[in-house]
Amino acid sequence: MDIYVLARYPFLSEAKEVVRRENVRTEEILHDPIYERARDIGRQRVTDALEEGVVGGYPVASETDALMNIFSYPIARMIVASVGHPYFRGRYALAEAKRAYEFLQGESRDFLLQVARELEVAVDDDLRLHFADYLRHAPTRSQRWKLVNMPLSQGWLSLDHRELARVLQNAIQHRLFEELRDMRPPSEISNVFREEVTAIRNTLQQREMREKAEMGEASVAKLPPCMRMLLAAIQTGANVPHVGRFTLVSFLNAIGMDTEEILGLFAASPDFDRERTRYQIEHITGKVSGTDYTPPSCASIKTWGLCPTDKMDAICRRVNHPLSYYRIKGRRRK
Amino acid sequence: MTTWLQEQFRRYYARPRIHFPDRFPRREYALIPFGEQHMQRHLAVKTREDLQSLLERRVPAHIYYSSAYYETPDAPTMTEKGWMGADLIFDLDADHLPGAGGLSYPEMLAAVKQEMIKLLDFLQGDFGFGEADLAVYFSGGRGYHCHVTDARVQTLGSQERREIVDYITGRGLDTQSLLQERTVYRQGNITQTSLEMPLPDEPGWRGKISREIIRFFQSLLDAPEEEALQQLTQFEGIGPKTARTIYEGLTPQRIQRMRQGKFDQFPYIKKMAPHLIRRSAVELRGEPDEPVTADVKRLIRLPGSLHGKTGLRVEHVPLGDIDQFDPLVDAVVFDDSPVALTLKKGTAISMKNRSFDLQPGSHTVPAYLAALLVGRGLATVDS
Repeated sequence: MDIYVLARYPFLSEAKEVVRRENVRTEEILHDPIYERARDIGRQRVTDALEEGVVGGYPVASETDALMNIFSYPIARMIVASVGHPYFRGRYALAEAKRAYEFLQGESRDFLLQVARELEVAVDDDLRLHFADYLRHAPTRSQRWKLVNMPLSQGWLSLDHRELARVLQNAIQHRLFEELRDMRPPSEISNVFREEVTAIRNTLQQREMREKAEMGEASVAKLPPCMRMLLAAIQTGANVPHVGRFTLVSFLNAIGMDTEEILGLFAASPDFDRERTRYQIEHITGKVSGTDYTPPSCASIKTWGLCPTDKMDAICRRVNHPLSYYRIKGRRRK
Repeated sequence: MTTWLQEQFRRYYARPRIHFPDRFPRREYALIPFGEQHMQRHLAVKTREDLQSLLERRVPAHIYYSSAYYETPDAPTMTEKGWMGADLIFDLDADHLPGAGGLSYPEMLAAVKQEMIKLLDFLQGDFGFGEADLAVYFSGGRGYHCHVTDARVQTLGSQERREIVDYITGRGLDTQSLLQERTVYRQGNITQTSLEMPLPDEPGWRGKISREIIRFFQSLLDAPEEEALQQLTQFEGIGPKTARTIYEGLTPQRIQRMRQGKFDQFPYIKKMAPHLIRRSAVELRGEPDEPVTADVKRLIRLPGSLHGKTGLRVEHVPLGDIDQFDPLVDAVVFDDSPVALTLKKGTAISMKNRSFDLQPGSHTVPAYLAALLVGRGLATVDS
């Protein structure tokens, strides 16, 4: 493959092979002035992933540029691995995958098939994909991509060029994330990129703090539809199964409500029994049981049949967890 | 103390006919002994003989195995078990069917079987599972199970399995794009639109809906007027007047146009579509507390074992025989040796093609019926 093409997809095995064939030691990559450019681009990749959520746009005017781009990728990976933050690994993998998607849309069908093969996504020559691979990689959280809306027949479904590119984006993301997870970066990395690693860790920490602050004061107005439904059911005295109570109470607890506040909300119920309810709440919030249960994810809520799918809104479709909904809603109101 | 029912189970488990799950040594087993509520979990077996001997020694009222297979199936926690994959399991139960409450036991079973036939159409047609990877079992109780053992789905996670469930139940279906208004003519203020529907041979739900719409209107056309009107007024928002308008506009030509994806002027279909979709979908809604198909580690009744509340066997249903399968004949294990019992509640049921209509009080009935009545707590055996 052309070295300019490989510069767009530095994670492909053929690009890795280029690095191997150059036969340079890690030491040289980290210190030799020849690789200064590669190190700079590597730093840029990581910063862009953190700040912009997508990498790329580095000039490739010559063969040397292309080679430096290819070398920058393993450097960036080593930096990401030594930051050692699972959230950031995911973010970086996504940023690289998004860049690849931009390019893939303009590539030939054969090229897409080749990338698919390397990622072990079984696509035939007519761009037909087996549904199991589709489910692993397609962004099925958005309605348009849900399997139920796809032309499935005999286990296979046809995609157009762009759709396949999008599925490959996720496959790339998954592959890179797994590679990063299993990577043990050489300790020398933390010395060479000490500043960068520290800066990234600080930024991540700050973001976490900001998110916590954004949760702000507990507010019923920011509740996702599922929680509003559960709360309304309890307040009107409807029969709510145990998992429903558990879901609601653990959620209210997580957004910072204490037992008294939760009791206040439940008091509207016609068959309200304060002491019994208090015991139940404190069991879930950890006062009685000693275990502070975390609220269930959207996946679990759906499994239990507690997700009011007809009431889902735009935020619901973006999130995996009711707490994320709550956070986003909080951000919008400011 | 051994009860009469337990004794019957003991005799069966001395020579049971078990269908061993594939990779059976990698499965977790769990059982509920007679007279107990509590489930004993985390059992494992190495050989077929181990499982046979477990049944013979313990004589469980209920026995289950895990849909998942594990590195260490008898480890006490999920993490230690080491999840390797899981069959895809569909559990169709009368409890999940709307309106099943008013049905008798045989009617309930027949209704669930119809859902299973619909499900199989999805699994074989849309998902393309082959006969070798599909097995249907009567649950021994109030439903049917379908096990899918295709290697390509065994490693799917719970999010992905939920997509399969959503497909089969029609949840999240984009109904807007199924019926689209298209402008066919526009001049000045005059706009003429035509409603377009999918073609019957399109893949996926589009073709399914198309076929259901055509089938429905064809059946209206074929039915006597009275019946057709009655069918139509069952839809929400369609009164006797609208029903008549629809019926009178219905012609073979119109249905021919439907086959070509043309709906013309027919605003009522938008009201009818959701109902027609529901008919094509499978009712698979688990109770919120219950594990559903998306679960990657659920327990399922061991095929060939007996159900403690009925005495019926968890019976394999060959795919080609599902129409003729009658659980109250084919899943009956016990013989017709007479058993004297006291019935608490009047019961009418037909088993092994024999009809029974029993009033409360003393009776002598065949052992297979006695097992069902005793298991369901409706009778006690006279000692």
